[in-house]
Parts: sequence; structure tokens; C-alpha cells
Amino acid sequence: MLTIKNLTATINEKLILKGLNLEIKPGEVHAIMGPNGSGKSTLANILSGKNGYKTEGEIKYEGINLNDLKIEERAQKGIFLAFQYPLEIPGVNTNIFLKTSLNSVRKARGEEALDTLTFLKLIKEKAKELNIDENFLTRQLNVGFSGGEKKKNEILQMKLLEPKLSILDETDSGLDIDALRIVADGVNSYKNKENAFLIITHYQRLLDYIKPDYIHVLSAGNIVKTGNADLGKQLEKTGYANLS
Amino acid sequence: MKHSYDFNIDKIKNLSLEEKILRQKDLDLFYKSGFPTKQIEDWKFTDLDLILNKNFDSISNDVNFEKDNELETIKNFEHNYIFLTNGKIISTNFIYEEKNKILISEYDHKEKNNLDSNNTLALLNNALSSGGFSLEVTKNYKLKKPLVVYNYFSKDLKNKIINNKNSIKLNEGSELTLIDYSNDNTQSNFIKNTIDVISLKKNAILKNILIQNSKSNGHFYKYIKGSLEDNSNYENYILSSGLKLNKIEIEINLNKDNSRCSIYAALNLLEDQHQEIKTRINHNSPNCKSYQKIKNVLNDKSKGVYQGKIFVEKIAQKTDAYQLSKALILHDEAEFDAKPELEIYADDVKCSHGSTSGNIDSDAVYYLMTRGIPKKEAEKILINGFLNEILENLADSEIKIFLEKILERQINGY
Repeated sequence: MLTIKNLTATINEKLILKGLNLEIKPGEVHAIMGPNGSGKSTLANILSGKNGYKTEGEIKYEGINLNDLKIEERAQKGIFLAFQYPLEIPGVNTNIFLKTSLNSVRKARGEEALDTLTFLKLIKEKAKELNIDENFLTRQLNVGFSGGEKKKNEILQMKLLEPKLSILDETDSGLDIDALRIVADGVNSYKNKENAFLIITHYQRLLDYIKPDYIHVLSAGNIVKTGNADLGKQLEKTGYANLS
Repeated sequence: MKHSYDFNIDKIKNLSLEEKILRQKDLDLFYKSGFPTKQIEDWKFTDLDLILNKNFDSISNDVNFEKDNELETIKNFEHNYIFLTNGKIISTNFIYEEKNKILISEYDHKEKNNLDSNNTLALLNNALSSGGFSLEVTKNYKLKKPLVVYNYFSKDLKNKIINNKNSIKLNEGSELTLIDYSNDNTQSNFIKNTIDVISLKKNAILKNILIQNSKSNGHFYKYIKGSLEDNSNYENYILSSGLKLNKIEIEINLNKDNSRCSIYAALNLLEDQHQEIKTRINHNSPNCKSYQKIKNVLNDKSKGVYQGKIFVEKIAQKTDAYQLSKALILHDEAEFDAKPELEIYADDVKCSHGSTSGNIDSDAVYYLMTRGIPKKEAEKILINGFLNEILENLADSEIKIFLEKILERQINGY
């Protein structure tokens, strides 16, 4: 699904990623762990298409050169980034945003746009699965939402857009234990043989709920170690210090 | 450029000799200074004389009041209405209301209006005004449906000036939602100079919504003067985009305790459109509240102006006054000027003001694009959200939905 070969990335003349390689196949869950400043969020941003990075190397997504796709085209083709810090957008109604987003993606896939009633029925179902109060959907997008509510809203968008590759950028930060469980359940119930996850996190605790197939340790712009789910538990004991 | 004006009091019908003399006096006073220029502080960002010189060969007050085109009405909600063509009443309908609760008549131009005599447009209005309405709501009567005042224009308005006055009086405990709705499909360049005099008695509530619903080459000036008594509330919304020139001056006098006013404006300007909102809120009594939120989106070579003054009298303790203007400047040649002013003589008050201008938040655009929304549409959503915020506190959901649709149309340039 995703193949990254020898990726380097620079922002403001600072080299962040230094020749990273990664391969993700359908049905797999990959976790990327690593200390602050190691380049985890940079990787997520580059995959989503954020401007400002100079990159070299190759990123192929379903056989397409990712650099050829605009930000919205990546989303339409099934790449989803759950933000570490979801933006508050005053004046924009959450429901209207979600409907515009879903219909943009549907249109790109050659599907018919959903009318308001069908959409509302769908979004209410999805919100219920994540224990999101319906009233949130009528409020301004993320405005006045708690950290946990914002993160749940990201997962709601993921479930609505049904992406193939979901990138979760520190979705666990700022979540209490109940919210963490709800978010993890949301991910687990969406997981299937066709789609894949890239989970970026500092801590093992999210991985207690979402079992990764691979854990990669990113340090100073490169993957320095790859292992299975046990690597996370080991890191929790020993820290990152001995790895780089 | 005095010689290219053709202002003639004899063109106004049914005036007594005495009225003619009074009007001629005002006209002579107007001629002494002419239309305001930027040398006058209140007009420093809107040089009206220059703008009119550029766009008019001549100006006359020879206005015909006959309806000459089909009038399009609002279908979205049930409402009472007053139809004005070129500012004059054509018909009225209060079918949803009880009898004898609403008094409606043509404006009586003999009434004195005590407007600031430095304002030469007020002088011109006094000299030339005809048409307009007087509306009075009786004590404790709350209108069941909103009132829409339709402003339509005849097709022969090229180089003409319309002057009219309206008066709205809400007696104790009465309530009204008044939508001032302008639709100009004439394409001609004309001037409209209107004075609205508003009086709210104890506990009265007026929601005053100003909507422009078409592009227009008209040059509009409106002066709203409101006087508020105890615990009354004036709420004003302005959604007026697409006008060649528009200046709205709002003077609110919070004359008695606990009176409140709020002004919300959302303007989306394209091309070389120019709009100014100028407010003066006089806190003349204790415990009054005023709130202003002005939002401008400026495209192309357009210009937006906000001059807002809060004046607090010595006796007006416990005043709570707030004003904020925000502008999104989308092109290098667009311009936004803001002049907030506080003049405070009381010592126990809460007054704050702020003004910001900038571009669309690129992080927000990115966020929306990662959800599959193309850039242009993402920007439109954000512009819409920016302007829409002023409707947040509007309780009536039917009208709110209607206004949201108007805003969307305005953002798409009609």
C-alpha cells in the first residue's frame, strides 16, 4: 500500500528525516515511537501533503507517486491524518464541515453526494459508536471542545471517510483512560484486511489497546529499530536512550 | 462641482410655502460645503465628493415613484411587509397581526429630527426628502411575524438622488423584528440618502436586520439614530455586500438605565466596492451595555472601513462596552481602515476594543484539505465561517437560516 524509500526531508534548511525506509501492507498496523524531535510528526505531515517541506527519495502509495497528488487528492484516495492538534474553526458548523468533506471524497470516488437527511442519519450512527453527544455536531468545529473531544472528533472523521491508510499522530495525547478506550475501540472496529494504520505515539499505553504488527523506533530522522508488539513494552522499561 | 447638481425643491410635491422656505434654507446650507470630503474627520476614509465626481456627470432629485418592475418577495418565512419604491410606500400588509396595534403612515417631513448639523447629507436630506414611512407599535404588542421593508428601485434612476426618512417607534414592552431588504436590479448609478429615526420605550426590543440582496451600482448612505429608554434592546445586523458604495452610520443613545444595543456586521467586498460602517454609541445612563462585532472580507481592490466610537458620560457608571473589528484581506490591493475610539468620563466602567486584520489561516485551509476538500472550497468555507460568526447569537432559527443563505450568496458574488 505504502512504500517509502530513502526519504529525506528538510524544513527551514534543517534536515529532519535522513533516508527513511518503510513499507506498509494492507491489513497491517504499524506503530512509530520515538523521542521528541525525532521526525515522527514530520513524517505524518509529509504523507498528508503539508507544504513547506523539501523532500527527496520516493513515496509510493498504491503505485502512485505521492508527490504528484495534491493534499485533497490524497484524502480522496484514502489517506487520512488524525491531527495531533486538531484545529478550532470558528463559525464553521461541524455537521456542515463533515458533510462537505464526505461529499468531496464521495464525488472523487465517483459516488453520489449524500443529501442532508441521509448524511445526518449516518453521522448520528457513527457519533453514537464513539460516544459523541449529538449536540457536538451542531457546534462550531472543535471550538470549545476539550482535548479528548477533539481527538474523538478526528476518529469520527476517519470512520466517516473510510480511508485505506489512517495515520494517527499522537491521538492518545490528552486522552483520559475512558476516552483512550473509546478511541481504541473505534480504531479496532474499523480495522480490516483492506486497510492499514500508522500510529505515531510516545507511549506504550495506546498500544495496549491497539495491537500493532510492527513497532518502529524513530530516532534523529531514521528508523533505528523495528520489532513486534513486545518492543513497545521493552521500550517502556529501558527508554529510548540506549537505542540511538 | 456645485454647478452639476440640479437640486430643486419645486420638484417635491405638496409642500406649503413655509415648508419650502425651511427646505431652501437647508439646501443653501448644504451648498455652502457640498458633499463631504476626506478633510472632514468623519469622512476621512470615504471621500464622498471625490467618489461622486468620479461616477456621476450630474445629480438631480427628479425622482419618479412609480413601480415599474415586478417585485420579488421572500418565500422563506411568513412575514408582514412594507413595499417601498425609490423610498416611497407602495403598499403595506400586516395580515399576521392584530388590528389597531400597528400604526403605519407616510413619514411626516415636518417633524424635526435634531441630527448633527455638521452632517451635510442630513442637510440635503432635510431639504429634499420625500417618501418614507412612520411605524409605531402600541404598548406591549409583540409582532407575531417579522416585518420586511422591501426597498425596490425604478429603472430610470441614472444620475438621480433619493432622499427619504423613516421613523420606527416601539412603545413600552413592544417587540419587532424589522428586516430592511434592498434589491436593486436596475444597474443604474444613483444615490440613496436615508435617515432612520428609531425610538425604543421601556422594555421594547427591536431587531433591525439590514440586507442587501443584489449587486448594485447605487451609492448608499444611511444614518440610523436610535434613542433607547429603560431596559430596551436594539439589535442590529448588517449583511450588505456588492454595493458600489455604502456608508452606514449608526448613532445609538442609551438614555436610560439597563438599555442595551448590539451591532453585528458581515461584509464581503469584491472589485472596487467600498463600504464603511461608522458607529457612535453614547452611554448616557448607568448600567447600559453595548456590543459591536464588525467583520470584513476584502477581495480585489475593495475597501472596508470601520470607525467606532464609544462615548461614556460621567453618570454612566457600570457601563459595559465592547467593540471588535476583524478583516480578512485576500488581495494586496484591498484595504481595511479601522478607527476605534473610546471617550470615557465615568470611572467604574468596562470598555474594551480590538481590531485585527490578516489573511486566511493557512493551517485551517490545510486541515480542511486533508479532509478531501479542494483549496478553493476550503477557503470559501473559512470565509463563510468568519462572517457567519456574527449570527451566532441570533435566536430566531428561521431567520438565521435565511441569513446564512444570503451570506453564502454574497460570498459567491451573487
